[in-house]
Amino acid sequence: MTAAAVATARGRRRPHLPRAVAPYVFVLPFVALFVAFSVYPMVFTLRLSFTSWRGSGAAEWVGLGNYTYLLGNDAFWSSLGNSAVLWLLIVPVQMVLALVVAVLLDNAKVRMRGFYRIAFLVPFVTPLVAVAQIWVVVFDRDYGAVNGLLNLVGLPDVGWLTTTAWAKPTLALLFLWKTTGFIVIILLSGLQSIDRSVYEAASIDGASPRRQLWSITVPLVRRTLMFSVVLQTLAVFQMFAEPYVVTDGGPYGSTTTAGLHLYDHITRADLGTGAANSFLLVIVVMALSLLFVRLLRSED
Amino acid sequence: MTAPVSAHTAPAAALPRRAAPVGPSRRDGGRRARRELAGTLGSQAFLLVLALAFLAPVVWALVSAFKPATQIISDPLGVDPSAFTVENFRRMFTDVPIGRGFLNTAVVLVVKGSITLFCAPLAAYAFAKYTFRGRDLLFGTVLITLMLPTIVLIIPLLLEMKELGWVNTYQALILPGAVDAFAIFWMRQVIAAVPDELLDAARVDGATEFGIFWRIVLPVIRPALAGLAVLTVMNIYNDFVWPVVAASSSRMATLQVVLSTLAQNITGNRIGADYATVTGELLAAASIALIPLLLIFVALQRHFINGILAGSVKG
Repeated sequence: MTAAAVATARGRRRPHLPRAVAPYVFVLPFVALFVAFSVYPMVFTLRLSFTSWRGSGAAEWVGLGNYTYLLGNDAFWSSLGNSAVLWLLIVPVQMVLALVVAVLLDNAKVRMRGFYRIAFLVPFVTPLVAVAQIWVVVFDRDYGAVNGLLNLVGLPDVGWLTTTAWAKPTLALLFLWKTTGFIVIILLSGLQSIDRSVYEAASIDGASPRRQLWSITVPLVRRTLMFSVVLQTLAVFQMFAEPYVVTDGGPYGSTTTAGLHLYDHITRADLGTGAANSFLLVIVVMALSLLFVRLLRSED
Repeated sequence: MTAPVSAHTAPAAALPRRAAPVGPSRRDGGRRARRELAGTLGSQAFLLVLALAFLAPVVWALVSAFKPATQIISDPLGVDPSAFTVENFRRMFTDVPIGRGFLNTAVVLVVKGSITLFCAPLAAYAFAKYTFRGRDLLFGTVLITLMLPTIVLIIPLLLEMKELGWVNTYQALILPGAVDAFAIFWMRQVIAAVPDELLDAARVDGATEFGIFWRIVLPVIRPALAGLAVLTVMNIYNDFVWPVVAASSSRMATLQVVLSTLAQNITGNRIGADYATVTGELLAAASIALIPLLLIFVALQRHFINGILAGSVKG
């Protein structure tokens, strides 16, 4: 019997997908959707970024014109600046807070851990439009519950969403509140992969809990921590829906994030500039991600 | 004869040295135990306050939705159960096409969710367990799209929808983003951890390549799959930017689009009674949108948390 005959005999018995062909078949549905709705638009946007196009008529090739325009544009830099300030207000605070909560939830002596895990994840699962609107109502200058609380203890009203000094911190608070629970769960997964005997040995050697946190826990979850930092850096620099719903970029552009600035080009039908802005943002985000990954490696 | 003896005596010799540091801590064991108790109580108090702060805005919204509209703004902190009313909900149902929003969201949820939960693990299986031409290039492209802001793709996607005649259709709501880069990335990590021996054993037993995926891989990664399911449901249910752009007609509006339309009214009516009315309707709508998801989450939270715990990167 020849090899071909064996193959056909087997093929008749059961329709085997040859091992060499199988992966192509398996990725096919994904590739079809991915190419049509991710890769094609991405390539289209890249080409668009070298043209001047207002959504209709012929696109005019302008080379690097859009990029040089943006790099000399104050609004572009201030949107990046706003995102950078938000990053500073969010990411360091979130990492410390999430790590402390994760370490406490990892401790078997702490009670009601199930309740806490749900409580911290409730903001994460609630629809953004709903919570953003709750934010608008709760932080309203005249009718809001937060100012109501302040008045109760004799403090004056604060223009949480209407003053340039407070709008960014209030927005940062929304983001922290919404996503910290998710980071807690990711860090918990890192904590649970630590071998318990390391702690037992450290206790026997007389290391205090604080010392154990800094000398054992933090170094061992460094990878998970860095993964979280990269994840949140992407999220903060792409932040769009939160400022869009809560402040619409105001007051005086103080919450116009990089993501929202990008959207402004779209609403003004300045599509070529918007596309160039997108790719500048991707470069910034990639550079920051690589920086954090490098920081992680250099300590290994 | 010498080797077993030394192997036997070595641990015995090490024992006293190991035991020594235990001595002093046992002597002031009382103080240490008290300090530990204080630490645990402190942790407990810290967690409780923080958890209540996390729950407060949602609880406030759910409670306020039942307050008379004028009271929400005149007395935002006051709670008077005897004055509770469903007026906000009644008015919301007559003023806003929220039923249609629920229906559209349900359709998109079922179809798009099924596509994600089938296609993403299947492709991820190919990425994790086979070598094939173009694999690394394709996976690299997936990683790049992870870094691309979603709104970047909105212009070209919208133009594509216009070209296809799909604006304000279910296709437009369902197909873009049906297999997102994060799902592929996550599932690949999870499936890579499945031992190759398991797959080879199934192959020896005559399983087909697809049979291995269906009967071996999927059952093994079930915790992560449950996590992906919950995350996918939440993402689709909460998605807002793309539906606003692609399906803004009231016939095709999803729940989140209905909510955001309502939200625009609030900024347009900043004065007195109108503001109160819209705020009341809005909190009622927000509550209605929150409740199904909260129920799903509380029912499935174990799967979700275990799924993420099983799937994320190792420390």
